[in-house]
Parts: sequence; C-alpha cells; structure tokens
Amino acid sequence: MARGLIRRLVFGLIAIAGVIVLAFLLEFVVPGDPARAIAPRATSLQVLANIRAQLHLNQPLIVQFAGYFGNLLRGNLGTSYIQHQPVAAVIGPRLLTTGVLALAGVVAEVIIGGSLGILAALYSRVRALIGAVNLTLLAVPIFVLGLLLLLLFGFKLGIAPVSGGAGPAELVLPALTLGLIGAPWYAQIVADQMQESLASSYVRTAVSKGLPDSYILRRHVLRNVLSPAITMVGLDLGSYLSGVVTVEVVFVWPGIGLLAVNSLHNLDRPIVMGTVIVGAVAVVFFNLVADVLRMFVDPRTREEP
Amino acid sequence: MTAELAEREPALEVTDLNVRYGRMHAVRDACLIVPAGRVVTLIGETGSGKSSLALAAARLLPSSATITGRVAIAGRDTSGLGSGEFRRVRASLLGCIAQDAMAALNPVVPVGRQVGELFTQHAGMSRQQAREAAVAALAQVEIRHPAAVARLYPHQLSGGMRQRVMIAMAVALSPPLIVADEPTTALDVSTQAEILALIGELRGRMRSGFLWITHDMGVVAELADWAAVMYAGRIVEQGPVETIFDAPAHPYTEGLLRTRRDLRSGPVGAPLFQIPGSPPSPGEEPAGCAFAPRCSRATQVCAEVDPGLEPVRRDVGEGGSFGHVAACHHPVGRSAGASSGLAQGRSVEGQRP
Repeated sequence: MARGLIRRLVFGLIAIAGVIVLAFLLEFVVPGDPARAIAPRATSLQVLANIRAQLHLNQPLIVQFAGYFGNLLRGNLGTSYIQHQPVAAVIGPRLLTTGVLALAGVVAEVIIGGSLGILAALYSRVRALIGAVNLTLLAVPIFVLGLLLLLLFGFKLGIAPVSGGAGPAELVLPALTLGLIGAPWYAQIVADQMQESLASSYVRTAVSKGLPDSYILRRHVLRNVLSPAITMVGLDLGSYLSGVVTVEVVFVWPGIGLLAVNSLHNLDRPIVMGTVIVGAVAVVFFNLVADVLRMFVDPRTREEP
Repeated sequence: MTAELAEREPALEVTDLNVRYGRMHAVRDACLIVPAGRVVTLIGETGSGKSSLALAAARLLPSSATITGRVAIAGRDTSGLGSGEFRRVRASLLGCIAQDAMAALNPVVPVGRQVGELFTQHAGMSRQQAREAAVAALAQVEIRHPAAVARLYPHQLSGGMRQRVMIAMAVALSPPLIVADEPTTALDVSTQAEILALIGELRGRMRSGFLWITHDMGVVAELADWAAVMYAGRIVEQGPVETIFDAPAHPYTEGLLRTRRDLRSGPVGAPLFQIPGSPPSPGEEPAGCAFAPRCSRATQVCAEVDPGLEPVRRDVGEGGSFGHVAACHHPVGRSAGASSGLAQGRSVEGQRP
C-alpha cells in the first residue's frame, strides 16, 4: 500500500518536471519580447537591451532554464516582470480565491450530478429525461452557460451581482456554472455504478437477508458507487485549481485562471510559469489524495497489484 | 419419512407454481415438498426452470416475473404476504446460499459486518452484540480464528471460506428453510467435499429443510433425500433419491444418469452417451410431452397429450417407492433395464480424456 503510494508520488513528480520543461519551452515559442511589454511604449533600444540583460533574456535557452530550475529547487519562483513582486506573493491570494471557487464548483457538481444519477438509477421512468438533461448540459459550452446564467440572474432578475469580485454573493453563479457543466459526468458514473450495484449478486444477498431497502442503499450500494466518484472529484479539484479560465473570465472572478490569461498577454513569464506549476502540483496532489481516500472506501485497492 | 411429515410442518410446500417472464413460461405447475430436516434436490439442465422455481419460492425473482401458485414456508403461506411484510419475516423463514460467494458478498464490507447485520436488523442486537454473534456464527460453520476472519473482506478469503461465510449468513437465524443454488459448483473438489460435509452436519443439527439446486448428480447422491428432475419448466419426475438413481422412470432422468455413469465408470476412450437433440427453446409450448422429440420411446400419444405426474408402477416385483412420480406415457420399467428407450441414443464423437 505504502509502496504503491510512493510509486505514484514519484510518477507525479516526474510529471510535474515534464510540465515545467514543456511550459518553459512553449513560452519561447510564443511570439513577443517581454522587454517591450515591460518598458514604456517609446523606449530606446539601449533601455530594452538593459532590461533583457537584467532578466537574462539574452542568454541561451538552456542557461535560462538551468537558472530558473535552480531557483525553483530552492523554492524561488522568481519575480513578476510587471508587478515587481515575488511570484509566490502574487499567486498565493489568487490560489486561495480559485480554491474557493473550485471547491464550491465540485460540491455543486457532486450534489447536482449525484442526485441526477441516483434518481436515474432508482426510477426508470425519469431515466430518459435525465439522459436528455445530461446531453444538453454536455452540449452547452461553458461560457455560453455562464453568460446565460449571468443574463438571467444578474441582469433580468437582478438577484446576483454582475460586477465581479470574490465575495460569497459573487461565488454563487460561477460555482453553479461549474456544477452544471460537471454534473452530467457524475450523473452518468453514479447512475451506471448504481444500476450495476443494484443488479449485483451481493444486493440480491442483502435482499435475501430481509434488510430494509434504505439500509441496503446506504450500506451496500452507495459504498460501491463512492470509489469512482472519489477519483473524479480528485481529478476535478486538481484541474479546477489549475485555473477555471473560462468561468473566471466570464464572471471576472479574480483567480489563477484570470491571472494566467493576463500574464500571458503581458508576456509575464515568471507568473505564467508559476500558474502552470501550481496547476501541475494541484493535479498530482489531488489525484494522490483521491487514491488514498479510495483505499479507505474500497479495500480491494489496498492490495499491491 | 411419512412419520416425520406428520410430526412437523414441511419446510417448504410449493403448490401449482407457475413462473412466467412475459410470454416465456419458465416453471409450469410445479408441486414440491421439502420436509423439515431433509434435503430435496432440484436437478435439471440450464434453462430447465430449476433456479426460477427456487427463486420464486424464495421471492428473489425480478419484478418482471409473474408468479402464480401457493408457496408455504414452515406452514406459513407466503404468497399472500405483501413485500414489506415478507421482508420482515423472510430472514427467519429462509436463508439463501448463492452459487458464487465472491459475487454474492459485498466486496467493500467486512464479512463479519455482513453476517452481523442480520442480528442488528432482525434480532434487535446492538452493534457490539451483533459483532460477537457474527463471530459465533462464523465459528459455527467451522471457520478457524473467526474473530480475525470477521474483520476481513471477501477478496481476502479463499473460495471455501467465502462459501462458509455465505452459509453462516443463511443459517444465522436458524430458518426452517434453506435454498441453496449450486453452492459447490464454483469450488474445487476437496473444498466441495468439505462444504458438503459441513452442510450435512448443519442439517442434522438445525433440522432445517434444504432446497438444493444442482446439475451435479454426484452431489445429489451424497446429500439428498429426495430428488426432483426438471425439464423444460416441468418437474418430470420426483421421488426418494435412491429410487431415482436405481430405477428412474422418466427417459430423461435415465438419460442424465447414463451420461454420468459413462463419465465416471465407462471404459476409457469409449464414446460418451448423450441425449440426442436439445431442449425446446424457452418460448415454445409443445402440445404433448416436451421431451418427446428427443425420446426414442415416444409414440403418437406423446406428441399429442401432455403426460401428468403419475405414481410409478413397476411391471414386476415391488410396487415402487412411496411418492415416486413421473410424467411419462411410457415410463422406463424395471424389466426393461438397460435396453430402455434411450439405448439407441446417438453417441458423441468426443472421447473421454
């Protein structure tokens, strides 16, 4: 069990390193000169050259990368080109804001999707209807849904704020958007698992033992549904933390996604790298957490393969 | 057996049971009695209706099945009970042993809990008491270190142990009836023998009646008191197990026995006996005897008139066993012996290994 976790952790670290290398290389493919983005509009070539020298931009790629990676290993993410603050100080609060949204989004999708899935599994009459709802939600692009919700609740009904921000009132619509977009996946997986479980031999055993239906659902069915749902929550938390760009842009939610987009425009490479690294770490970390949780829920995953 | 029948209500009494899945008639007019403390076995091929009959008696069929007829467990008519009412009494009336214990046990719940929930739900025990009772129940089915085993999950147990856990659940509340659906099929031979010995021992101790579904005639010979042979949804012959073995009256039973005899003691390399043809498909409703197309004793009457179950009368000597009945116009007589109707049955090309 411990060995399996360590192996997964090592693979995760390798994956993170791979992401860092790839992101670093990609930034040099992006056209544009950071020095021009930093300097005022009409600047002499000498000033630009000074900026480049200051940021080591005139050195070979491999040297720049070695310098960056060396700093990274020492826990130094660098300094923002534009805001002249340590990257960690810029990203930190943004990560928290995105974390709140990611968590609220996952809670929303688990509640919406889980309920739809359970209803679909238990009542064959609504199964087709829920299938149609799932399909519709899957087909709607996330920004369209976000804008529609904003139009309806923000402008038409006037019960939700439209100005952007990170307060509790501003959280509702973006979280709902994430929840609705993610719900069909949970609905499908929960419905499938649950139907499989309900038709299983062990549920028949439970019935033959004269256990009440609600008891069978709680003790025998739901525990078997939990395991794949946990895996998906882990994946979602990781990927949402790495930036729910569309939702943050639509609702002007000041999180990591918004930061990454702006920094990419400004060619603020240290910040972009920082957001990429945070995303990669989040994905690996929450996958690992999900694996550990699954071991508690499903004893079969505790055994070494 | 007659004396015991009078002495105690039968564990199970099935009268005119019919099971239909839509247009498919899976069990036709089945009547069967499982006396207390006895093992009654249902023999038949896949699709013969043996599982449908047993599951109908245990009320474990899906709601798509239409069931008519009367089922009484320990003298109590359960066919009239509502589903909620039946749920409350079912664990004290009957226990079920499934074929594949690996699938029949919940993979994510420790086995002790799976046994123990019977006690918390039906005997009003606290969780602590139920845990102790579960350990005791595991000890009853001769599991060593029951307290340690109770904490394990099904995948951590051997096949024999899992089946013992199933049996422990089935007998936990000492129900008068136990329905076992080929409980030894998935096990290797030595484990099979252990499980059979355990069930033989439990039967003596508990005085429960067993309804035992199988296609393995060897198990029948070892454990059963009574055998009922099913073919195409009907019980075509039933009687004391020795009688069924030594002097089968229905040509189908005789064919089954002959296949087995060839397999066990036929000369090596000799072709195995096989009943020609195949059973009617589930939707078919033949006018006469369902076995007639495969039977060499069949005459015109077999194709036209469905034979009812009649007491078997022998041509010569003794008058047959008490309760031995068969549904056949031309039953295999004792005098006919080996040169019976199936003697001309086709032989298989395949050789014994």
